[in-house]
Amino acid sequence: MTALLLQLTALLYLAAGLLAGAALVVSHDRLSRVAVWGLGLGALLHALTFSALHSGAATPPLTSGPLAVSFMSWVGTLTFLALLWRFRLLGLVALVAPLSFLGVFYAALSPPGAVQTDLGGGSLPHAHVLLASAGLALLGIAGVAGAAFLAEHGRLKRKRHLARPAPWPSLEALDRVNALSLAVGFPLLTLGVVTGALWVRAIHGTPWTGTAHEIWCLVAWAIYAVLVALRFGVGQGARRSALSALGGFVFASFAVIGVELLQ
Amino acid sequence: MKLLLMGMNHRSAPLEVREQLTIEDPVPALRKLTACDEIDEAVLLSTCNRVEVVVLTRDAESARLRLRSLFRRDLGDAALGDREVDGYCYVYRDGEAMRHVLRVASALDSMVVGEPQILGQTKQAYRSAVESGASGPILDRLFQHAFATAKRVRTDTRIAEGPTSVARVAVGLARQIFEDLRGKHALMIGAGEMIELALEALRKEGLESIRVANRTAERAAELAVRFDASAHGLGELPNLLADADVVLTSIGGSRPILTPELMRSALRERPGRPVFVIDIGVPRNADPQIDSLAEVFRYDLDDLASVASSNADGRRQELVRAEAIVGEEQQRFEGWFAALRAVPTIKHLRAQVEAIRLRELERALPRLALDDGAREGVEALTRAIVNKILHAPLSRLRREAEREEGMAYLEIARLLFGLDDDPERTEEPDDR
Repeated sequence: MTALLLQLTALLYLAAGLLAGAALVVSHDRLSRVAVWGLGLGALLHALTFSALHSGAATPPLTSGPLAVSFMSWVGTLTFLALLWRFRLLGLVALVAPLSFLGVFYAALSPPGAVQTDLGGGSLPHAHVLLASAGLALLGIAGVAGAAFLAEHGRLKRKRHLARPAPWPSLEALDRVNALSLAVGFPLLTLGVVTGALWVRAIHGTPWTGTAHEIWCLVAWAIYAVLVALRFGVGQGARRSALSALGGFVFASFAVIGVELLQ
Repeated sequence: MKLLLMGMNHRSAPLEVREQLTIEDPVPALRKLTACDEIDEAVLLSTCNRVEVVVLTRDAESARLRLRSLFRRDLGDAALGDREVDGYCYVYRDGEAMRHVLRVASALDSMVVGEPQILGQTKQAYRSAVESGASGPILDRLFQHAFATAKRVRTDTRIAEGPTSVARVAVGLARQIFEDLRGKHALMIGAGEMIELALEALRKEGLESIRVANRTAERAAELAVRFDASAHGLGELPNLLADADVVLTSIGGSRPILTPELMRSALRERPGRPVFVIDIGVPRNADPQIDSLAEVFRYDLDDLASVASSNADGRRQELVRAEAIVGEEQQRFEGWFAALRAVPTIKHLRAQVEAIRLRELERALPRLALDDGAREGVEALTRAIVNKILHAPLSRLRREAEREEGMAYLEIARLLFGLDDDPERTEEPDDR
């Protein structure tokens, strides 16, 4: 049941991404809106998947890597849909939906037997995964907005193809989304790191065991701490912030997911 | 007679070449042109996007060389080189020249297709030519026809709908940078017609504030009152720029006023906030080097042209209809212009018949011994007979002259009536 729901969710995200891409190519606002509905429907199905997981197990097995990534996709999708109420971001569906698809597709492909439910530390493992995934999801939105900002900034500076596709967001909207996602995502990531440390202490008696995951994640957190200080403390420019958000997310994705996969 | 048009516009030449041809007063150039033997009539149109001269000439090649020399030396402050004139100027003759004038007046050749300003600018150019005595009956007719065509295009098509001013195009571009123009501060540099149009366009966007900075404080104040803006002198620019999100500049002067130093110092006061600079001045008011500043988005007329042409793509059907109207009107004018070829023949024929009538009256009247009333009656009678006889053939000649094949009719008329012969030898025999 859960696998089928995940596959259907992945299909909806994929369809939304393709529609949004087509809407950008033909500069069609209405098609973009259909893509948003597709993304919303996917998010709803995604929620049903987690609900099914809850009903199947006393504690949802979110601590498996693939399901944590799927959860991250869901939070990212919901955050993006919430931002759509405030900003004209229709064009970004073409970037967000494929990423959501990849997250769910990865979970749908993973064997269900890999799930561990008894990890010790009470509710700390789940708090850690939920907070860190939500934080990463928001930082992912910041990274996507940063990538879109850089592309848009380059186009406007080069003065080529100035009649842009209608649904593409403005530079200002992309910069605000970047700042907002960073402002909310970093505290969530911090809480994720803290709960992670508490979880490790509950099991090993010390918050630091020096695993590759811990080292890489701490470095990623430190990088984000610097980026946040630069953005909100020093007043870093929009273009550099976009570049930082993109670079930070690439590094964090590798630190959290890449290192796990390599191990 | 030939029509010849030489010009340079936003499509044929880049802004850095066009800005060298800035003409404050067209009259000296027009006087110089019409003083030449080969040029009978001339009109000069100069806007921020084009400089064009249309002339009526008896010797097209000499006139072309004369116009070429005018573009090289006499228009604007700086002289253009041969390569620039040959590479960036276009030359249209007769039908093509007529079509071009009609398209320009109808705003089909404008950077922003359908924009309303070009018609006023064309009328102003024509008025200057009339006042300086450079325009004559043929160009009068051409320009009146162009104004009528522009009116027809505007009323019969929807070409004037959508973003039809540089300011509207600029607002569209601003939306790619800013999420919303509400709450933003705009700075207008200059107080000319373009700034006035921009103020009209921006007023509807709900900007937080609009400031007008100009050399002449009175004019800035006048605009400020009309558009609920504040007026400033150019000396306040450093402070004004520090607060401006949208800067629109169109002010005279040979050197840029928005320099990299000025912009850099303004950006220091507003870290991380972008500035959208629209430079519609010719010569340019903003130094292109400010592009190197990450937060500055500067666009000049050439940059706006690409956006404007994409906007026009959306009105392609209307464009096709407008071009069809221009085609019809061109044909109509060409017909009238071609019919002018019949004028010498018709005049000659009329003069010859009138001479015969007068000669015959001179012979007959002394013999008839009529009083004054009867004499006038006979004169009127002979005139009416002559007019009635000539009416049909002359009308036919005029009609036929509008077609190239109709030239044969003119030839035959000249042959039949001996119009090319020596008048002494064509004297008819005395039948007394």
